[in-house]
Amino acid sequence: MYRSLHTVVIFTISLLLVGCVPAPAPKPSTSSTHSRPTMGTPIGQVNGYREYGYPPRDYRQRIKNYFANKLKRADHAKYTFSAPVRAYKRKGLAYGGDVAWRGWLVDVAIAVPSRTGRLQKPKPYMVLFKGDVIVEDILGSNHKLITRVGK
Amino acid sequence: MANFNTHFVVAATASAVLSGTLLSMEILEPTQAVMAFALGTFGGLMPDIDSDRSKSIGIGFTVVSLLVTILAVFVKNSTYSLLEMLIMAGVVFGTVRFGFIEIFRKISKHRGMFHSIPVAIIWGESTAILMHLFFGLNALVSWVYGIMIIWGYLVHLILDEVYSVDLGNRRVKKSWGTALKLFKVKTRTDQIQTILIYALVAFLWTKAPDPTMIKEALFSPEAWANFKDVLLPYDGRWFFH
Repeated sequence: MYRSLHTVVIFTISLLLVGCVPAPAPKPSTSSTHSRPTMGTPIGQVNGYREYGYPPRDYRQRIKNYFANKLKRADHAKYTFSAPVRAYKRKGLAYGGDVAWRGWLVDVAIAVPSRTGRLQKPKPYMVLFKGDVIVEDILGSNHKLITRVGK
Repeated sequence: MANFNTHFVVAATASAVLSGTLLSMEILEPTQAVMAFALGTFGGLMPDIDSDRSKSIGIGFTVVSLLVTILAVFVKNSTYSLLEMLIMAGVVFGTVRFGFIEIFRKISKHRGMFHSIPVAIIWGESTAILMHLFFGLNALVSWVYGIMIIWGYLVHLILDEVYSVDLGNRRVKKSWGTALKLFKVKTRTDQIQTILIYALVAFLWTKAPDPTMIKEALFSPEAWANFKDVLLPYDGRWFFH
């Protein structure tokens, strides 16, 4: 009797303990290839986030929303995205040349139709993020005042 | 040789046509097109700044002096007081406008190498570098501004050559060939000057913004297709859109 009660108690406690194990943490809703730091993130990587901030979340949709009000015929635009990279931008030398922005840069190529409906060759843009906010877009895939630091 | 007013009107017209085309092809925004027009017109007056008595030298040096003064104010505005900036601006403007002009008058000769295609390119490259590195504009717009300066400059040189043909008397004036030239090698000084100018063209090219975007926007099959798209009404209906 005592033995079977012991077995039932152990079994019940085991079940309770298994139930108490936390479910895997939900993945952040980001389309970035980078994840935000967790308890297991190496300290060097955390320091990188301190300087440049976290990679932008849901950057594809944010970029589409941003250009929807900026480009002509944007509703027919075709986007090609690259993964965000850390970068910084200096002010023009006329404004002192100091570092004006430090954050994440996303390269995107956007093809929009011409006024006749012909889909034009995609134009490259560099979209600069501070956190999740787009601070600037620059036409082209490079600029002498922008330095890419890496992923 | 065409006079100041002729150069001004022709350069302004040519710049209006080109900047309007670039606006229509959606290479420039409206505000950028206005700036491109102004630069093209200014470029059309620049070659004559080597003429001691021309209006161009006065206008050219005033514009350059103002530009240098504004740059100096931009650089120092966060550290200087208003009074310091005022004094600095006065000194910079006076030095460039009235000091450098005398030096320039002494060293330059009218219809020397200032009237040449490589010097037009030097001005265009310098403008592109200034816009890109100093004002942080993107490579495409920086190059468009540079090309507008070259465009205005070349229009001036072509006009000078056109005016050196006397159609009434059916003769070519002595000035024929002195404006639209690639080099001048008559004297030792001319040869050294030509070498230095081409060396400067090459050096500035290394510092200039990436030309990929401008090549794609103006000198590619895609650019030609864009131009054809805007040349005629796409649906054949004129003035009813």
